[in-house]
Amino acid sequence: MNQRPILQVAQDGETDIVVRRDFSHPPERVWQVMTDPALIPHWMASAESMSRCEIDLRPGGSFYYEWKGTQASPGFHFSGPILAVQAPHHMQHVEFFNGDTASGTTITTDLEARRSGTRMVMVMRYASAEARAAAIEIGMTDGFDAVYDRLEALLPTA
Amino acid sequence: MTSLDRSFAALADPVRRALLDRLAEGEASVQELARPFAISQPAISRHLKVLEEAGLIETRIAGTARPRRLKPEGVAALWDWLGRYRAQWERQFEKMDCVLEGLAEAAPAKVPRGEEK
Repeated sequence: MNQRPILQVAQDGETDIVVRRDFSHPPERVWQVMTDPALIPHWMASAESMSRCEIDLRPGGSFYYEWKGTQASPGFHFSGPILAVQAPHHMQHVEFFNGDTASGTTITTDLEARRSGTRMVMVMRYASAEARAAAIEIGMTDGFDAVYDRLEALLPTA
Repeated sequence: MTSLDRSFAALADPVRRALLDRLAEGEASVQELARPFAISQPAISRHLKVLEEAGLIETRIAGTARPRRLKPEGVAALWDWLGRYRAQWERQFEKMDCVLEGLAEAAPAKVPRGEEK
């Protein structure tokens, strides 16, 4: 064990991105890490500037994640309704970027128990092919890379 | 649409993905490319046109032949983009692994229920 878990990131059809990843812990634990507002900031990107993390985890509930701005970049938030919750195996929610409800991403997360732990399959369905390209190109890649580059610059270079 | 958008739109179709797979092995004529498919050669030509407009392939002019081949710059841009996107997920999941390890140390899990496979 302890070889690097397989991560698959694939585009499916015009609007979907499918992410698959195995964890060496049972679904109950993975679920807890994914949904507990006290734990989310420990793994979510740009955690150091995450200023608000709230989840009302039930069908009909909602979530709100906010990152405060810096001199270099404006703050932003993701929020949206939670559509389905079947702990610890299935969840579906909609993500709106900065409150833009015209173009939401529907995210379906499934956690399947495996002998070795958990297989996570996350399907992100964007409003259009353009929304998918834009979301990844701008919102994720560049922004996240900048954040990690900043972090790396802070590390000691011994 | 940026050229990257066009690249991804081009890849949204399974026939076009298969054509790219074939071209990854080397250049090929339209006839050769069409052979494995149960669709007409004009339909294949239309798919090739989409790939070419997306900057993923190019047409070489060799006498009267017009073989297609991959366009390295276009494919590289796509590869780099996907690689960076993937790397971002990789980092996020590795951090989740760390949080999971922390939880497990604090309270070791019982033997998994029912031993689902």
